[in-house]
Amino acid sequence: MKKLREEFADLMLSVGDINSELVVLVGDISHGILQPFAKKFPDRYYNVGICEPTIVNMSAGLSKVGLIPVVHTIAPFIIERAYEQIKLDFGYQNLPLNLISVGGAYDYTQLGCSHHCYADVSLMCHIENSCVMMPGSAKEFNKLFLDNYKNGCINYFKLTEFPHSIELKDDQIKLGKGIKIADGKDVTILTVGGILQNAIDARELLIKDNISAEIIYFNTVKPFDNEIVVKSTEKTKRLLTLEELSEHDGLHNLALKALSGKMDFPIKQMAIKGFVSGYGTYKEMQDRAGLSINKIVKKVNEICGEK
Amino acid sequence: MINNDLRIKIVEMVKRSGEGHIPSSFSIVDILNFLYGNILKIDSQNPKWDERDYFILSKGHGCGAFYAVLHKYNFLSDKDIMDYSTKDGILGGHPDMKIVPGAEASTGSLGHGFPTSIGIALGLKIKKKSNRVFALLGDGECHEGTIWESAQVARNLNLGNLCAIIDWNGSASQLMPVDDLPAKWKAFGWNVMVIDGHSEVDLKLAFDGIEAKVDGIPTVIIAKTIKGKGVSFIEGHGKWHHKIPDDKEMKLILEELST
Repeated sequence: MKKLREEFADLMLSVGDINSELVVLVGDISHGILQPFAKKFPDRYYNVGICEPTIVNMSAGLSKVGLIPVVHTIAPFIIERAYEQIKLDFGYQNLPLNLISVGGAYDYTQLGCSHHCYADVSLMCHIENSCVMMPGSAKEFNKLFLDNYKNGCINYFKLTEFPHSIELKDDQIKLGKGIKIADGKDVTILTVGGILQNAIDARELLIKDNISAEIIYFNTVKPFDNEIVVKSTEKTKRLLTLEELSEHDGLHNLALKALSGKMDFPIKQMAIKGFVSGYGTYKEMQDRAGLSINKIVKKVNEICGEK
Repeated sequence: MINNDLRIKIVEMVKRSGEGHIPSSFSIVDILNFLYGNILKIDSQNPKWDERDYFILSKGHGCGAFYAVLHKYNFLSDKDIMDYSTKDGILGGHPDMKIVPGAEASTGSLGHGFPTSIGIALGLKIKKKSNRVFALLGDGECHEGTIWESAQVARNLNLGNLCAIIDWNGSASQLMPVDDLPAKWKAFGWNVMVIDGHSEVDLKLAFDGIEAKVDGIPTVIIAKTIKGKGVSFIEGHGKWHHKIPDDKEMKLILEELST
């Protein structure tokens, strides 16, 4: 089974050949495996240094002059350490970027929590104009990268070190599309990334308990496929979410949002949806964010009207 | 060299809107006016001209001076200035590059504009272009770690097309002095010049003295400035950093700037 990091190195080489605007910057991670790219395109490969916030920040300058930056290092350093750079230099300025991490969750199993990262996906979802992908296999990463690396968005590709073994068809792999892996009638298991493998293995064991589990798999968290969640849970009426992400956000919350309005009682959310641009008084800013008193009254009326 | 006309414009903007950093703007306005009037290759009718030089105001809270100078050189209209920091305006307490003509980066959080300028300089080098990149930083901003990360990166990548300008107005010395700024930049391998940031003669000598090469050593001009320069009771540090003048103070400020 091909490792996602090997696919990354091969992809950079092949895309570098066809697109002279691709520039790869790393923070001393995958430096060895990227040597074919570095040797072929020495003016488009930079092992910048151990300075992740600056690597991300300077990439905004590359993006600004029309190049396509790919920034790569370990997930906690590229997302959590450099989060303000992602938020301001790319999100606020609306510049495109490709972030590719390895070592998310506890993939660096022997290096301890300093190298773990459970909140990266959630954090990236907060960034305006972001697409957040967790490919669980080399083939998925290949397709998702080629489809999206020059889409003008802030793309986050979280590469697992532990891919699943399911062979997906090309036409199943698409940004924002969930995939039904197995049919079932008793419970829906939603899962994301490489841990799909555990869901499949568990399903086999559940058959012996006379439980038929339907497995819905995602390699994209943003945009999220609400429809597939609704369709499956309408049938099974039971839901389990399985994810190697923080319990405080991620797939579970996405599922709840997907089911908003589909359950026995209305659920609505009022929250900040992106940058609240512009200037003015506090009240004017609240109104711009959609959180003014009048809008709250309107929203409550909507909820009560649904009963 | 005292650009009092620009200082009056700054203080009027701040007074009208009730928002702004007057002393931080007064310390850099002479530098900006010299850059825009004499050094930068720019076209106000085409702010995104491919062949332009890039100027990044890394200390975004000095934007009062930036807006006044962009207005003087026809990037901004009278209405833009009148609408500063209001609901209908495009100019806020920090510049937003998406909507302000001539602003190359949306700064405000310190330590971001300079790394962006490194990327622009590297991108221009990759594209084999001769445009130059100028970034203006505060001395207080030089507390930020990303400044020194970037200083190392720029030197290591030989970004001779890059010039940093430090507004050495002493803000940093109030909390964590960086009195050896020239030695620090020299230790990071940069060409270092120390000048009087309010002297046109010094500014001309410094900018004319840069040997701009796409592949070379980057230059830093450390400009000694006075925070609040131009109005006696605003000069220095303290309450005026983010203070809005009342009517009486406004009258005194205008009197000093008009003499």
